Amino acid sequence: MRLKPLAVATFAALCSLAPIAAHAASPTPSPAGTLTQQQIGALGKIVPGQSSRADVTALLGEPWRVVQFNDCGEAMDGQDDETWEYRGADANGGFRLHVEFNEHGMVHLFAKIPDAAPGGAGTAAKVEPGGSHMGMSM
Amino acid sequence: MRVAVFGAVLTLACLAPAARGLAQAYPPDGRNIPAIDNTEDASGAFGQDLRAPPPPNAWDRESAWNMKVEGFDDNQGRPIYQPLVVNQDGREILYLGNLAGNLLNPLTGQVEPNGTSIIDVTDVHQPKFLFHIPGPPGTVGNAGAQMVRVCSGSVLPHGEKGKWYLLRAYGNAGPDEAHQVWDVTDPAAPKFIVTIVSGLSNTHKSWWECDTGIAYLVAGSKADGWHQSGPGQHLKIYDLSDPAKPVYIRDFGLVGQQPDADVANAKSCTAAPGPNCYEGNKNPPAGVHGPISMGATVNRLYLPYGVGKDGVIQILDRQKLLAGCTSPTASPNCATRPTQAELLYPQLGVIAMNAENGGHSSMPILGVPLPAEQAHFSDGKPQKKDLLIVVSEATANNCLGQAEHNAWILDITDEAAPWPLSTLNVPQSPGDFCDKGARFGAHAVAEAIYPPYYGKIVGVSWFNAGARVWDIRDPRNPRPIAYYIQAPNKNTVASCARLNGNAVCHNAAMNDYVEFDDRGYIYAADRSGSGVTILSLTGDALKAVTPQAK
Repeated sequence: MRLKPLAVATFAALCSLAPIAAHAASPTPSPAGTLTQQQIGALGKIVPGQSSRADVTALLGEPWRVVQFNDCGEAMDGQDDETWEYRGADANGGFRLHVEFNEHGMVHLFAKIPDAAPGGAGTAAKVEPGGSHMGMSM
Repeated sequence: MRVAVFGAVLTLACLAPAARGLAQAYPPDGRNIPAIDNTEDASGAFGQDLRAPPPPNAWDRESAWNMKVEGFDDNQGRPIYQPLVVNQDGREILYLGNLAGNLLNPLTGQVEPNGTSIIDVTDVHQPKFLFHIPGPPGTVGNAGAQMVRVCSGSVLPHGEKGKWYLLRAYGNAGPDEAHQVWDVTDPAAPKFIVTIVSGLSNTHKSWWECDTGIAYLVAGSKADGWHQSGPGQHLKIYDLSDPAKPVYIRDFGLVGQQPDADVANAKSCTAAPGPNCYEGNKNPPAGVHGPISMGATVNRLYLPYGVGKDGVIQILDRQKLLAGCTSPTASPNCATRPTQAELLYPQLGVIAMNAENGGHSSMPILGVPLPAEQAHFSDGKPQKKDLLIVVSEATANNCLGQAEHNAWILDITDEAAPWPLSTLNVPQSPGDFCDKGARFGAHAVAEAIYPPYYGKIVGVSWFNAGARVWDIRDPRNPRPIAYYIQAPNKNTVASCARLNGNAVCHNAAMNDYVEFDDRGYIYAADRSGSGVTILSLTGDALKAVTPQAK
């Protein structure tokens, strides 16, 4: 009987530590393809024409979404680029990082596209020099 | 306002039972064709106030005219190609064929290659995502399952009563694609049944006659020797009356595509008809996109070739197509390597398009009364026309390097000599669609055959200009009558283009397909990952499909 209060107190103490222990052992992961602030700060390392799929994966991890619009093999020039997307947020709000790869697996284009673009305004993209693509993506 | 909304809902509700009870009487389920009554004045649409479509809102805003949003599902962010709504024993099930890619499926916790989405839309206000059947694994270019058809086992001649079967393309442009059949009796737990044929390339939009089981699969194969310009695909016809036991019938395509065609020396069948010629204006002719069969009674197939360029539209005698290679006089390899004469045997009519337009869709609407010719016509009989809605697909972003792509109404009453009656088009402005990002132009026509919409209105997807609806009761003077343009959302894939030397990306939704269900709801499926929107008609558009409309 005398041990009961101690046991309860010990159990309670262990329970209070549990979330910390769990966090230390297995940090709550971000949803796949969601960029950390550290990753957002490193986006300048992606260079169109020079960075490969492996480089992007090493820097940003697996993407949130991959799309490819080679509809019946009749895609226009550049429309069948494999595109990786990541989600992120900075001081300006949510955005998607849009990365297109050419047929050689190198970054052809990337852009940080705000989720909300007033009026539907376009966003400038960085693109490999000398590319001839007219209607890129989709 | 409330009275108007109530009236619209009441009208839709009144229309629904009539349509629903007969849902499986029409192709592809049955062989009846809805009778189309005239509900226009004798003057038709000529001289009427056309009520020009109001300009859309800013690019980042939704726009609707004579349409109302009833529901929405984000489809997990997967880009959609084709929607199909099936009344499955009283439940309305939406099947979505998705374009290539991969994404997390929250229902399984797994990243899955895009395949086929299954959504219960019985309550359109609260769609419930039931299941995602993954597409092919491997590189993303192999993924996708863009096309889907569904038949009831109670309708298929040798299906299992009470079961439901799904036919889908498996892969899109990879080296080893296939067509598959799945059991979707429980749409929340589909079961794989069989691969009909594999080793394909360029699978595309098939048609499946439920009452006969005949399936017109679209695909090509590097090994089959067929010749096509552009998309390398033709028909591969199977008997799926027992979906678990596919029976091959034959391959089919345009003259000039057969394996034994001497492409290097072929001449135009029009300019120089002879034993080695090609149909249309391109040698070899472009591949077929998606056939529509009107079933055993009408005995016709309609085939568009070319997608967005070098198009040809073809009308076939269905019975001659299916039985042609069983004739005692057929060549030994008629099924796989038909002769030119064997390809011509079922052909009833053909029309060549020019180089800048292709055949993406060709939807027959048979027996349309002409308002001006219901009385006082030369022979005193009410005049009706058989029509074909033909659509050429826009394939360029920002209108770059391409002429406008439109839809047309062809008069096919004389099948041997189809001829255009009118054009369905959407102007670039208002809306400034060529600068909006993504594609602008026509894509596909709605294919569901249900009264009272059949013969009254047509829906055509117009990419960044949204889902567009025309009143075609006077087919010589079609009237734009409704549209819906989806706003981009957090799942919209940006489209990027080099404009004036600068690379620019826009968030723009792209309506890929418009489709109807047997209750009268309209589904606008987005190609750029923005989801599927469920709509109803309002205002003048709803009046156009009410039985007493004038």
